[in-house]
Amino acid sequence: MRPLTDTETKTLFEKLANYTGRSLNNLLTDTVSTPGSKTPDRYVFRIQKDRVYYVRESLANLATSVARDSLLSLGTCLGKFTKTGKFRLHITALDVIAPHARYKVWVKQNGEMPFLYGGHVVKAHIGRWSEDAPEHAGAIVLSMNDTPLGFGVTARSTAEARKLDPTGIVLFRQADVGEYLREEDTLFTT
Amino acid sequence: MAPSKVKAGAAKGANKRSTKPSQSGSSSKAKKTGPKPAPTQHKPKPSTATDKKRKPPHMRYTEKELKIPQLNGIRPAGVQKPPNAKKGKNFVDDKESMNAIMAMVMAEKEGNLESKMMRARQMEEVREAKRLEAEKRAQSKKDGLEGRKEELKKGSKKRRKSDGDASTDGGAKEDASAKKMKTQRKRVSFG
Repeated sequence: MRPLTDTETKTLFEKLANYTGRSLNNLLTDTVSTPGSKTPDRYVFRIQKDRVYYVRESLANLATSVARDSLLSLGTCLGKFTKTGKFRLHITALDVIAPHARYKVWVKQNGEMPFLYGGHVVKAHIGRWSEDAPEHAGAIVLSMNDTPLGFGVTARSTAEARKLDPTGIVLFRQADVGEYLREEDTLFTT
Repeated sequence: MAPSKVKAGAAKGANKRSTKPSQSGSSSKAKKTGPKPAPTQHKPKPSTATDKKRKPPHMRYTEKELKIPQLNGIRPAGVQKPPNAKKGKNFVDDKESMNAIMAMVMAEKEGNLESKMMRARQMEEVREAKRLEAEKRAQSKKDGLEGRKEELKKGSKKRRKSDGDASTDGGAKEDASAKKMKTQRKRVSFG
């Protein structure tokens, strides 16, 4: 387990910024008060093997006492670095990015299951969407009662999507909470 | 070094042995043993001094202090890093540098997004203009057709006249058939 290097930090932020926009700063400034210490604890990014974790600093400091190859996971896993140096967000990052989302798509009840089974979002299933979203921008998918279901990339801009037929794809799926079941045996193995 | 440590250990052992049986008594013995560890304590100090001496040359003195003539300072093309630079990865853990990276990324993303939106807006404008032009063209074409239709409608009266002509033509046909009859009369048949 180690902190990220500057290039890794840049790659990670670039990916996160696709979904969050300006409010990504909140991820760095978020603090949590621990009962034992006087100073509030901050969150840091740590990389273990190839996975990046968003973790409380005190916890990260405690984890230094665990051997690298014995440490399986800590904090919230955001995703992993590929061998080519790109960063891939995992569904576990949803809880971190959903509160700071820039563009949102609300899926109707009849579209929830197709999305949770790994399908893209078609226009007929959309209940609401954020206006003024450009093409290929990251968006969070929510159910009509504001429960985050996953995230994806817009296939069309909002203006173009209006003219689309009901079976046309509006959002390409990147991750959905159905993966917790579908990818159960590979999601947390390193 | 090793033998000195052994001595120190032995001395300590001796101290313990000597002190344990006579805990109640002789402070003089303790006094005697007191100075013994002192030299052992002194021994590491010279060793630290030797450590200081062992520092690499560039730590002990700067090049300016050596008063050597200046060399050609051009760095060869193959060597990018100075010899004293940090090796390996540069970790980012402090808030300031993280914020700096984030600001950089954000500016880039905002710029990208802005340009994307601008492009989308421009494309939309172009599309709108094209649509209006196409509509205008279709309208003019329709108008032209309507005009032609009107013209034709007006012209249809003439047509009717021509229909009347046609009826007269029909009369002409009859005349023609009558003429034919006349011509048939003139015909000569062989059977």
